[in-house]
Amino acid sequence: MTIASVDSMITMNSRSRRRPWSLLAIACAGLVAVGCSSSSTSTTSGSGSSGTANVAYAGSLTNLNEKVIGPAFTKATGHPYLGRGAGSKALSAEIASGEISPNVFESIGGKPIEALEPKFTNWYVAFAASPLVVAYNPDSKYASDFKAIASGSKPITDLFTLMEKPGFKLGRTDPNLDPQGEAFILMLMLAQKQYHLPADTVTKIIQGQPGSANSPTIFDETALEPRLQAGQLDAASAYLPQAIQLHLPYITLPATISQGDPALKDQYATVSFKLASGEVAQGKPLVVNITTIGKKDSSAADRAAADAFVAYVLSPAGLALHKQGGYVLLPLKLTGSMSAVPAAVRKDLGG
Amino acid sequence: MSTPVLAGQPAQPAPGTPRRVTAGPATRLRSVSGVISVVAAALIWIALLGPVITLFVHLSPSAIASALRAPGALSPLAVSLESGAVTLAVLIVLGTPLAWLMARDRLPLPRLWEAGVLAALLLPPLVVGLLLVFMVGPVTPIGEALAHVHLSATNTFLALVIAEVYESAPYYVLGAQAAFGGVDPRLEEQAGLLGDRPARVARRVTLPLAAPGLAMALAVAWARAMGAFGAVVIIAYHPYGLPLQIWTSLQETGLPSALPFALVLLVVALPLPVAAYLWSARARGRRRD
Repeated sequence: MTIASVDSMITMNSRSRRRPWSLLAIACAGLVAVGCSSSSTSTTSGSGSSGTANVAYAGSLTNLNEKVIGPAFTKATGHPYLGRGAGSKALSAEIASGEISPNVFESIGGKPIEALEPKFTNWYVAFAASPLVVAYNPDSKYASDFKAIASGSKPITDLFTLMEKPGFKLGRTDPNLDPQGEAFILMLMLAQKQYHLPADTVTKIIQGQPGSANSPTIFDETALEPRLQAGQLDAASAYLPQAIQLHLPYITLPATISQGDPALKDQYATVSFKLASGEVAQGKPLVVNITTIGKKDSSAADRAAADAFVAYVLSPAGLALHKQGGYVLLPLKLTGSMSAVPAAVRKDLGG
Repeated sequence: MSTPVLAGQPAQPAPGTPRRVTAGPATRLRSVSGVISVVAAALIWIALLGPVITLFVHLSPSAIASALRAPGALSPLAVSLESGAVTLAVLIVLGTPLAWLMARDRLPLPRLWEAGVLAALLLPPLVVGLLLVFMVGPVTPIGEALAHVHLSATNTFLALVIAEVYESAPYYVLGAQAAFGGVDPRLEEQAGLLGDRPARVARRVTLPLAAPGLAMALAVAWARAMGAFGAVVIIAYHPYGLPLQIWTSLQETGLPSALPFALVLLVVALPLPVAAYLWSARARGRRRD
């Protein structure tokens, strides 16, 4: 409807003074009705006989959780699944401030979960690694170089000399908000150190200072992979599962810099930089951790659904789906005491 | 959206209909439906204002002070004001002629032109942002042309302005169209018959008569540009304006540090629309006298 016709409608209606008012009243009543019905729906799903697994997870798990794990979990257990993906740090902050109240939390790295201890949880299980890769644009002018590096016919060090070329269009995420953005810089630092690259390699590649968000190479998490798929970047940081699930060509990085091997954690820890907040980002294995988030007011049914979700993820069937999604499975490792772990989850841990 | 319509065109009874005697406020309130409608109107008004009231309830002066005193905290404000001003200039220069041509039916296939503006309004800003990546990204004809003159529409001030123009232009063009539509074409014709050239007619007749409605349209566009987020977060992650500052503060340190910037956004973006509204209401009042 055009402005002009809206206007003539208003003109017409002004002939009868009462009609627009009663229309407004009807609209208002409708609004109230919608409000009531939506709130009642959320109440039933929150405390029904079959509780809901309300899962907050690291953004990189979005595709797998929404398309594969969630539906498979509901099919296997009958519990409804409700997911929400965002940066692990952001989710941790939102849980702490009460903005969101999930009953399961999957994070990359242990820190976002530890920040919630002991109020919300006091244990977590590491079950898979999500190594960093460099995804590239197959139509980039450097595509043949990328292919040669990916196949091993050119050394990995060529990747770093390529990325620091003026005009190279690199994409990465904000290290202050997203663990992947942090890990990408740490990866470059590890590479600079291990391959004895010139001292300004990292800053040249990221076109800015490590802890600063002010760089033309930084994009919002939502925009990064679409931008690469649209052919507007030469290369971008990515987790291996992302690259596999989005069918992006990628260069596998050696385990010593990909941060995907928990056994190399001491080596990863040799690099660090300061974030804008003053907090120090230190190299660590990119491990997916899972825990339940307990709230005093959550119903027993919801708690049971949360426990069932974690148990499902850590079961052979759940782990196999993660492997198909590109995650590197790790021996399950519990941080915290076994007595804190819900009984349903304990059997996955052999406890 | 509907405000500029109402501002631009005072409702008039259609010719030929006998003028009804309008009931006074007291008579109207006595009827049941009158009471219901006032209550309903108040409910909606309060509901619309709810988030703003909540904002004030949850802000403490100390939180505002500490958030705004952080180093570099006010640079997003400068970025938002500068990009908003450039956006308005672009809208005035490019949007006004389009709105006038649409209002006067001077364009071939007028419905098609209107549909084009409405389509831009209809698309979610996030989608507009993603499509802009395909349109003005570095590996596109436009992006390459920009690169020739050492410009880029990726994470730059230019990208921010482009995103804000896309988010606010439909509001300005449709509002301005309604404002021009409210100017009686016969007045323009008479000025023409008296020997005024089109530019002079526009300056002396059309623009002064449409000014209150144009001001409202501009004010709404300003508010949209200041609050633009969806397209901005995709193509202009940098430089940070206020909406992105709110988003990153929220992600980085949580709600308490994000809310003060929402207040800044409100304080900065609101005076212009309010002033435009008051001015256009006064101008309408004068014209009726």
